[in-house]
Amino acid sequence: MAHSVETHATGGARERMSALLGQPWSGVAMLAIFYLILIAVFSVLSPFFLTLRNMLQIGGNVAYIGLMAAAGTPLIIAGGLDLSVAAIAGLTGVVISMLFGMGVPIWLAVALAIVVAAAIGVVNGLFTTRLRLNPLIVTLGMMSIISGIALVLTGGLTRPLMVPGFNWVGSGRVAGIPIPFILMMVTFVVLWVVMTRMRFGRYIYAAGGNAEASRLIGIPLEKTVIILYVISAISGAVAGTILGAMLGAAGPTAAGSQLLTVIAAIILGGTSLNGGRGSVWGTLLAVLILGTLNNGLTLLDVSSFWQDVTRGVVLMLAVSLDQIRTRALGE
Amino acid sequence: MATIAPRLGMHGIGKSFGRVPVLTHVDLSVDPGEVVALLGSNGAGKSTLMKILTGLYSRDGGTIRVDGEEVDFKDPAAAVAAGVKLLPQEISVMPDMTVAENIFLGDLPLKRSLGLMQVDKQTMRTRSRELLDQLGFATIHPDTLVKRLSVAEQRIVEIARALAGKARILVMDEPTAALTEQEAKMIFRIIRRLKENKVSVIYISHYLSEVFEISDRIVVLRDGRNAGTFNTADTKRAEVLAAMLGNTVDDLYDVGTPETPGAEILSVDNLSIPRKLDGVSFTLRQNEILGIFGLVGSGVEVLGRALYGALGPLKTADVRLAGQSYRPQSARAGKLAGIGFVAAERKKEGIVADLTVRENIALPFEERFERGLFVSKDEESRHAIRWIEDLGIRTRGPEQKIRTLSGGNQQKVCIARWLVEGVRLLILEEPTRGVDVGARREIYGKLRELANRGYAVLILSSDVEEVAGISDRSLVLDRGRLVGEFERGAKPAELMAATGNDPAFQAT
Repeated sequence: MAHSVETHATGGARERMSALLGQPWSGVAMLAIFYLILIAVFSVLSPFFLTLRNMLQIGGNVAYIGLMAAAGTPLIIAGGLDLSVAAIAGLTGVVISMLFGMGVPIWLAVALAIVVAAAIGVVNGLFTTRLRLNPLIVTLGMMSIISGIALVLTGGLTRPLMVPGFNWVGSGRVAGIPIPFILMMVTFVVLWVVMTRMRFGRYIYAAGGNAEASRLIGIPLEKTVIILYVISAISGAVAGTILGAMLGAAGPTAAGSQLLTVIAAIILGGTSLNGGRGSVWGTLLAVLILGTLNNGLTLLDVSSFWQDVTRGVVLMLAVSLDQIRTRALGE
Repeated sequence: MATIAPRLGMHGIGKSFGRVPVLTHVDLSVDPGEVVALLGSNGAGKSTLMKILTGLYSRDGGTIRVDGEEVDFKDPAAAVAAGVKLLPQEISVMPDMTVAENIFLGDLPLKRSLGLMQVDKQTMRTRSRELLDQLGFATIHPDTLVKRLSVAEQRIVEIARALAGKARILVMDEPTAALTEQEAKMIFRIIRRLKENKVSVIYISHYLSEVFEISDRIVVLRDGRNAGTFNTADTKRAEVLAAMLGNTVDDLYDVGTPETPGAEILSVDNLSIPRKLDGVSFTLRQNEILGIFGLVGSGVEVLGRALYGALGPLKTADVRLAGQSYRPQSARAGKLAGIGFVAAERKKEGIVADLTVRENIALPFEERFERGLFVSKDEESRHAIRWIEDLGIRTRGPEQKIRTLSGGNQQKVCIARWLVEGVRLLILEEPTRGVDVGARREIYGKLRELANRGYAVLILSSDVEEVAGISDRSLVLDRGRLVGEFERGAKPAELMAATGNDPAFQAT
């Protein structure tokens, strides 16, 4: 009560500012503007940047990261967190290549790897919901287990994964557009529809917005969260499949370093780590921004070490901005 | 008048939140070694007054003097430094620290050893020992981890901590709420020791019997004003109750005529939950509003949710819902059985703050707004608008975020959720907690209307006026047992008296 009084008293420009920042689209709009500025800056700095070829290249390169970030978004909105997703991607490549090596048809191998991932997702979900363990700990442990297993299975070596029809998934194009990019976009659209149009989507936002209230109005909270862990794990498997197909090889730690990018993209995209708020479109823009940053800095011949620094700075800036935004909303 | 200044003198204190005045020219004085009980029903302004005293709130007007000197605490730390300490209702101790560490938490004794400043454990131990002995609790050992102590002993550690901080004025908010009668006696013993040491105590409690046992003076607030000051020794309880509650039933509750009750909707036989409820039995019929009043810790905070199923499966319960045997299982099962539940803590357990009014209303029965695979936003909106209009929810429209609504309107949304076909019983905990007077009246009116439309309404509340005012029948819960049943028109004081545990008082 006292709070609202104070905001009234200050009034004026500050109030208008907070009203603007309080708009649901303002976060996504800020990202879009930032994205455009980034494109403009790199276009000026490098003649190779703003070409269709390079743009599609970026889209193809970020796709497997985008897939994981897409699926991670509803999970974080619902109050969960999956740190094992990139490790799952690594394991998937390994499992596919080993099964294929044992004579299993390649697509059956892919399907089996996805089933394995789904099972991991179920375990993540059960541990966090039934046992009420902190998802950070559970999935951190799971990450360690899975990457360990992948290393044991391969002895730490990268295995070849060259199967003509299969590699097309990673490097093929339809109407000039990279297949991984198409897969990613389809995932984003499907998740968007689910999250905004379906009952399950309502439950996602309710679960993360106020778990106790959701439980008290009889929403199937645990089921919702477990399904989201499964979706996240499957996205890891698909990302691993794409990566393996792109590289023509399966390394046990192939995607591990991208975990931070995935989480960074979700947060940069405006999804609250506290749950309840966020959208897949914010995540998509953030994935593109991080991918563009990488690409642009590479074109400018900046060392990849500096790229890590840049990514960190962008992330911290974005989170600070989001915090300011949240305060403006009167939390 | 007085030749020496009182320990504490609050004079003409005023405070409003926005345009709502919560305190108007309130006076409160406490002498050294005096125990003053501060009484008033919910919303009377007790806690606001104490928050002003302890530096949590600023005041709009008035003066505060400690030992004759004018003070102005900017924050709780400043108040503590001046020897004014609040012990909140919820015990705040560090469970994984020792008794001694807890006592000296704010001001650890230090010593230099091996060139480093370190906590002087020996001093801490001996001084804790002295303090506990002084309070008369030689049984509590300074090295025990606080989590191993009983709730009452934790309370004592908290008091010892306040004394270690040289508290001269101690505000105790419902210090016996979670305690048994035996344990409450321990607290009283301490308070008497404090008196001997000239510590002043402001004692907030709903339990009149306690207040009469321990206090020297009683100060009553009502609607943010002084409603009477009594010398405990020569005062009758009825006088205090009259000052607290007034004798007229407010027109707040004059909201339409009840219909004759219809078929029995709920029958509860011998519901018990260990340490919380003890053999509770009652029935509730269609068109009827049944109010259950109980003070904090009486079981009133669990009875409703237990029946709904939110406390999980109940082992010992013989409950019938609309003639069918019903076993509380889970919130979801309760919902599907036709129960609507509005929780006491609206922010924590009611609204989903980031969602819109439409989504908040549609949430429990989302499947009813599905058309094929998808939720129809139009259907949700239509339903939401219908209830926004029916309940008079003040909002710019169904797409407004619920967080931006006032408490009363949020509460109406929490009620609107359950107004769908198939729900027959509404269970509401503290239906008007944190709701302003205007919206309260509207909510009471709507509850009456809903009852008349055929709902059975069960209200659980620690607000005695509310229960007496709105109920067709009211029950009184005390320490897990039903101790009284009243027909419509009972006075709040009668309900309150039923919790008294004092046969002498029942006669008045």
